Amino acid sequence: MNDHARWEDVAGAYVLNAMPADERQAFEQHLVNCATCQAEVDELLPAAEALPMASPPMLPPPALKDRIMAEVEREAALLAQAGAGADRPEPARPRRERRGFWRLSGWRLAPVAAALLIAGVLAGTALDGDGTRTIDFEGQATAQLEVDGDRATLVAENMPAPPEGRVYEVWLMPEGSTTPRPTDVLFTPRSDGSAVAAIPGSVDDVSQVLITDEPMGGSDEPTGELLMSAELS
Amino acid sequence: MGVDLRTLADEDVMQFVRRGDARAFEVIYERHSSAAFSLAYRMMGTRSGAEDVTQDAFLSLWRSGGRYDRARGSVRTWVLGIVHNRAIDALRRSTVHSKRRAGDEGIEERFEARERTDVEAARREESGTVRTALASLPADQSQVIELAYFGGFTHTEIADMLEAPVGTVKGRMRLGLKKMRSQLGEGQVAL
Repeated sequence: MNDHARWEDVAGAYVLNAMPADERQAFEQHLVNCATCQAEVDELLPAAEALPMASPPMLPPPALKDRIMAEVEREAALLAQAGAGADRPEPARPRRERRGFWRLSGWRLAPVAAALLIAGVLAGTALDGDGTRTIDFEGQATAQLEVDGDRATLVAENMPAPPEGRVYEVWLMPEGSTTPRPTDVLFTPRSDGSAVAAIPGSVDDVSQVLITDEPMGGSDEPTGELLMSAELS
Repeated sequence: MGVDLRTLADEDVMQFVRRGDARAFEVIYERHSSAAFSLAYRMMGTRSGAEDVTQDAFLSLWRSGGRYDRARGSVRTWVLGIVHNRAIDALRRSTVHSKRRAGDEGIEERFEARERTDVEAARREESGTVRTALASLPADQSQVIELAYFGGFTHTEIADMLEAPVGTVKGRMRLGLKKMRSQLGEGQVAL
């Protein structure tokens, strides 16, 4: 009962998504065992879910659809290429047989291209606190590599758009090598020049992260201009 | 031989999206992008902000299509929920939150939807119904609901802004939504 008293009146704020994350989480735990609060949430939710309809109707610009569909079609093609092996934890097949070194690692695509750019999504979980180091990229944009353990995330701002028909690709230089390894991280910055991209896999044995512009769909070896690079060791 | 995706219900189209069918995704985009963009624009206040949020939301939907659960509501509710969450993330990250809100009125770069189809016309009607329900609330209740839902502010931020106790703000939210719910009635606004 005492616990319920603490949450009295909070259902409205909950369905409006107007609670800080920690408080929201605590309320959700309370909801599991409180039929009264759950009933109130159920009652208020349809009103909250109707609220988007109060926005003045607008049409999205056609270019937005073009951008989204270009990305979706590219990922759908990769998914089709990966075929039945897409869900397996290890790569089922290399994209193209080349020198052994160029076999793509981590080329698994379901859930759809999990390692692709997740602009804005990851920004909310920007690394901070203990154990995180930030490395500045050198080159034509302001960007940092945030390294947490063996994981790294690229956080950029003021990035120029890639040339027409091209995307940026992330490359990893293995320790002791002079030949960069391709990743499946392909992206274009958002309209304000910002971008956030998770680097796939461990960066423990990586000496450098590089960004080049490449044709849509990416390349197996760099063909475009080096935009920037970060030294890990 | 092929299925005409445009004749299928959203929930059935999502089965194809889950399998990585770009055409199925396009159907979902065409059906819901206007509502999604409208909400994003209302929350972000700028065209570029709305585009970013809409793009993030739809790409997230595409990449996580398998997570849609029809038992938890319609595809439209799901899409708009993703847009709302993305916009809130963007707003709460923003260091110019209050400044942005101050400039939210009198947006110049608006390009409103034309009534091109029956669907658009129906959406306008629904939109009018919800706006009327919201406008009919006592001002102190509609204000907190709008600040929370469209402004992305938390109840404590709103309490600070209005110099009102947090409990009062929460109470106004609850009462306002309750009244809206009864005004809208079940089934009048399809979500």
